[in-house]
Amino acid sequence: MIFLLLIYALIFAVTAPGLIKRKEWREFAAFLVMYAIAFGLGLMYVLDIPIPSPMKGLQYLISDKLGLKYPQK
Amino acid sequence: MSIEKGRISGSQLLFMFAGFVQGSALLVDFTIGITEQQSWMVILAGLVMMVPFILSYAALAKRFHGKNLVQINDMVYGRFLGKVLSLYYIFFLSMTLSFNILDVGELYKNFLMPDTPFIFLLAVFAAACAYAVAKGIEVLARVSHLFVITGIFVIVSTFILLIDQMDFSNFLPLFELPLIRIIQGIHILSAIPYGETLVFFMIMGRLNNTERAAGYALGGLLIGAMNLLAVSVRNTAVLGRTQSIWTSASFQSIRLIDIGTVLTRMDFLIGIAQTILIFFKCSLFFYALATALSQLFGLKSYLPLILPLAGIEVILAATVFQSPVDHAVITQNAGIIYSSPLIYVFSPLTLLIAKIRSLPGHERGGGT
Repeated sequence: MIFLLLIYALIFAVTAPGLIKRKEWREFAAFLVMYAIAFGLGLMYVLDIPIPSPMKGLQYLISDKLGLKYPQK
Repeated sequence: MSIEKGRISGSQLLFMFAGFVQGSALLVDFTIGITEQQSWMVILAGLVMMVPFILSYAALAKRFHGKNLVQINDMVYGRFLGKVLSLYYIFFLSMTLSFNILDVGELYKNFLMPDTPFIFLLAVFAAACAYAVAKGIEVLARVSHLFVITGIFVIVSTFILLIDQMDFSNFLPLFELPLIRIIQGIHILSAIPYGETLVFFMIMGRLNNTERAAGYALGGLLIGAMNLLAVSVRNTAVLGRTQSIWTSASFQSIRLIDIGTVLTRMDFLIGIAQTILIFFKCSLFFYALATALSQLFGLKSYLPLILPLAGIEVILAATVFQSPVDHAVITQNAGIIYSSPLIYVFSPLTLLIAKIRSLPGHERGGGT
């Protein structure tokens, strides 16, 4: 948890001041959105909260629901 | 507006293609359980099948000189449909990048550094890729030949060192597999090592001369495919039918090298070569993902997104599959099916629509 906070504090410190100084607000907004997603996922991982796998969802939709799959050996 | 100022030459594109395909050498294992001793045929058939699609990528790069995929989609399909298609493409890039980061993590966890925490391996690797991407596509292109030479050196040297243990009767019998398994093998090979070259849609726009892009792309693809073929032939000739029971056939075959009890445990060579080549492949994926997202958001630079994206990809890589078996089963089915429209449908379709609508019209620049 401490590592996560340290890493994300470092990422913010490295990226955000330059964007604010240059008044690149669109870049700053995009950075904040991606940063929030990354931090949220990191927090869920550290706290052992299950993160849904997109590939599991695709497997369910494509192979189980639509029946698109190759026959098993 | 362009978010990347760097330029690459045709010969650099050739080496980038070759290194990118070489980075998938360990992924040939996905087909071994399905096509067994006929994997070499599937590698060649997959290559032949992908040639028209690679030509369509090059034709699009030439037609829309200087534009990347997101810009091309907007021009061909309109702003809304183009953005939807670009999101599909970004999802593919994001997922495939996480699979490749996971491959490196599994490589180290299973064979090289089993006691190191898995998440640490993923984070360090993603940070190295992020650093390379921050340096820009020109830097990656300038060193691409070194990656290719390293990969070729390892494959050729291990092939020579294993010649005395090769039994070419391991390739027999030919044509005994059911057709559906051959088709699945070709689908896997064309979708993973070759189809992933879709990533070059975001890179070919940086070519300083698109006139001979198709030749360079095909040349690179051929070099990469010959490497995959050499790996497959080596593994089958050395291990025979047992190759399908090992976690990694390449590692197992290299471990059999024993020259006068001096040259042994050469598997570290595969570890080094694959780390370097997957690093190169992941860096290209990462670059394409960062530039595509930045283009979608209308940013001036992709640099602010690099570190948050690295964080997302590490967590995706750590959680996307529960086990290596899960990884193989999903990749051999849903993994190759969901990406098929992007690989086999949209690039020829985009080219066709662009031709019918005479796009990019008056904006179309020269090929120099």
